[in-house]
Amino acid sequence: MTANGTPKVWQATWLVAQKELVTSFRDRQMAIYAVVLPICMYPVLFWLMIQGALLVQGRREHTDVHVGVAHATGVEVPADLYEALSYAPGASEVEEGVQPLEFLEPHTLGMRHSPEDVWAELRSEDAEHPTDAILYLGADGDEPAVLAHDSTDSRSELAKRRLERRLERYAEERREAAAVEAGVDVRALRPVVTETRNLAPDEEMGAFLLSIILPLLLVVMAVMGAFYPSVDLTAGERERGTAETTTILPIPRLAVHQGKILAVCASALLATSLNLVALALSATHLLKMLGDGVDIEIELPIAAFFQVAPLALLFTFTVSAILTGFAALARSFKEGQALLGPVQMIFILPSMAGVLPGLELTPQLALVPVVNVVLAFRGMLRGDVQPLEYGLTALSLLVYAVLAILFARRILSRESLGLSSETIPITRLFRFLRSDTQSR
Amino acid sequence: MNSPAPSDPPAILAEGLRKSFQDPERGLVEAVKGIDLRCLRGEIYGLLGPNGAGKTTTLRMLATILSPTAGRASIDGVDVAVDPLEVRRRIGFLSTSTGLYPRLTVRETLRYFGKLHGLAGDALEARIEELVAAFDMGGYADGRTEAFSTGQKQKVSIARAVLHEPPVLILDEPTTGLDILASSTMIEFVEERRAAGTCILLSTHIMSEAERLCDRIGVIWGGELLAEGTQAELCEQTGEAYLDGVFMSLVRAAGYGAAEEPTA
Repeated sequence: MTANGTPKVWQATWLVAQKELVTSFRDRQMAIYAVVLPICMYPVLFWLMIQGALLVQGRREHTDVHVGVAHATGVEVPADLYEALSYAPGASEVEEGVQPLEFLEPHTLGMRHSPEDVWAELRSEDAEHPTDAILYLGADGDEPAVLAHDSTDSRSELAKRRLERRLERYAEERREAAAVEAGVDVRALRPVVTETRNLAPDEEMGAFLLSIILPLLLVVMAVMGAFYPSVDLTAGERERGTAETTTILPIPRLAVHQGKILAVCASALLATSLNLVALALSATHLLKMLGDGVDIEIELPIAAFFQVAPLALLFTFTVSAILTGFAALARSFKEGQALLGPVQMIFILPSMAGVLPGLELTPQLALVPVVNVVLAFRGMLRGDVQPLEYGLTALSLLVYAVLAILFARRILSRESLGLSSETIPITRLFRFLRSDTQSR
Repeated sequence: MNSPAPSDPPAILAEGLRKSFQDPERGLVEAVKGIDLRCLRGEIYGLLGPNGAGKTTTLRMLATILSPTAGRASIDGVDVAVDPLEVRRRIGFLSTSTGLYPRLTVRETLRYFGKLHGLAGDALEARIEELVAAFDMGGYADGRTEAFSTGQKQKVSIARAVLHEPPVLILDEPTTGLDILASSTMIEFVEERRAAGTCILLSTHIMSEAERLCDRIGVIWGGELLAEGTQAELCEQTGEAYLDGVFMSLVRAAGYGAAEEPTA
């Protein structure tokens, strides 16, 4: 407190921020948006994804597909082909790709027919059986057999995949049988037997995946987290008729503006943190459900956390200040939301750089807003950030945060803002920024 | 409380106060065109004028919500342009535009403003309870103001404005939109504050309110102060018996068109 008992600027800033946070979170919509949604979104989303995947997989496993086999007159069809390719209904073990596959009666064709003719005939509405794919054995034994299918039809795609796998296995069995018959060691058919092994440690796999997803998510979460409170504390205040009440507060305007930006930033950080916690818990649970077959361990390294946190804080301040500044131009909550829709894209679109392969943080890119932060986050999560790039990114983020706060303050301190009954169009922004300033 | 002497330093002083706005459609608009006024402690000064006359703009300049384009003004000896923060600490401002924070309770509202005015601890809590009792708000002091009636809101607003016991009160159309009971509460409150020595500047377009409350009246129209004085002085000056006649006489003399209908 000052000598006469009134609060200092930082104390007043804190009081304003506290009050704004309390009033914001008392709004049901805000509480849902900033707290309930982040906590519930990922578990629900992941549960829906798993259920959807299981449903699709289950449906696939139990889907019967029909393959028509056609061959020209005189073509000798291997006697064991049908048996080798067909589904054995009583089989005790159903491997993946050996699901129901029923062969239709073979068509014996004249020489002039082509796979397209057979396809048209068997897929026509008049056809006796619905046919999902066709195996066409040409007249000339040297011609490759044609596997005709329709890639826009999921049943046809399924039939094609199942038939391909069985044809491969059939060919393999035939080769091995011929080799045995000729007295050749079967191992000679496969001079190099390969087996793929991913030797990346589980935690590095996790870090790699995190480095692809997390930078983009952090930006999106910060923007989404700041969106609602920035509108509520500015345009919402005008709509509620309390803008003038705030103008007559017995504290410096600086404290009021800082308090608002601080409250928006705190809300955004809270929403981001809750998002991250919910995401981590959901992902861990998902990986446990998937079992040992998934060699990924999601764990955020402590060192990376301490590197990311200050940059994330500066970035969230920047986002909060910019969104607060623009939202203040609106006269109502609804108009504020409409105004911020395009503005949030300023942050979200460049953040896509975080998922571009091969793009690394350079001293030049360290100065490009948003791109610098996602690339720095990515590097930190992979543990390969150079001090120069990190330093430049931190410095430029600090400069952008200060500029963003000055921008927001410039808008918030226009005296016509709280008194105007209309939304200030962005096209009039520059003229508006030159209008009269409030007193201190 | 003794009546203020004209030689006392004015609690509110405005000299040549002007305000212009740049309107995107109308160009430069002169809302206030050089107003002079003085208001002493323990005095109620009424700014009487129709909508759009410049009353609210004048009061907003005195409350530091707007900066004057020209002229000077001071509150309790503090220049509004030099130390606007100190001015805001010395006034209680109330208008139809100063709404209550709807998601705060009465006590939270008073506590927030109290802390910003430098009150704290037991002194602040005691003051809050004093105001809750004085305005008979005990039944709803822990309820959020969003659910309150207009009268209840007005009581909270008054309590908020006088929480720090300001020497100057600026009230912009304080009874607009209130029912007869709430209006009566407001009028009693204003009279009590005058008795306590507070300088009160209020704007109104309700003649009866001005007649009952104001020690001196300034008639404002088109951003200019047409005349000021006690009700008796204004009646004598215009030859009218009542304030509404005074008002119409002054605005007609100032060029108010015969074909136009008055708005107040």
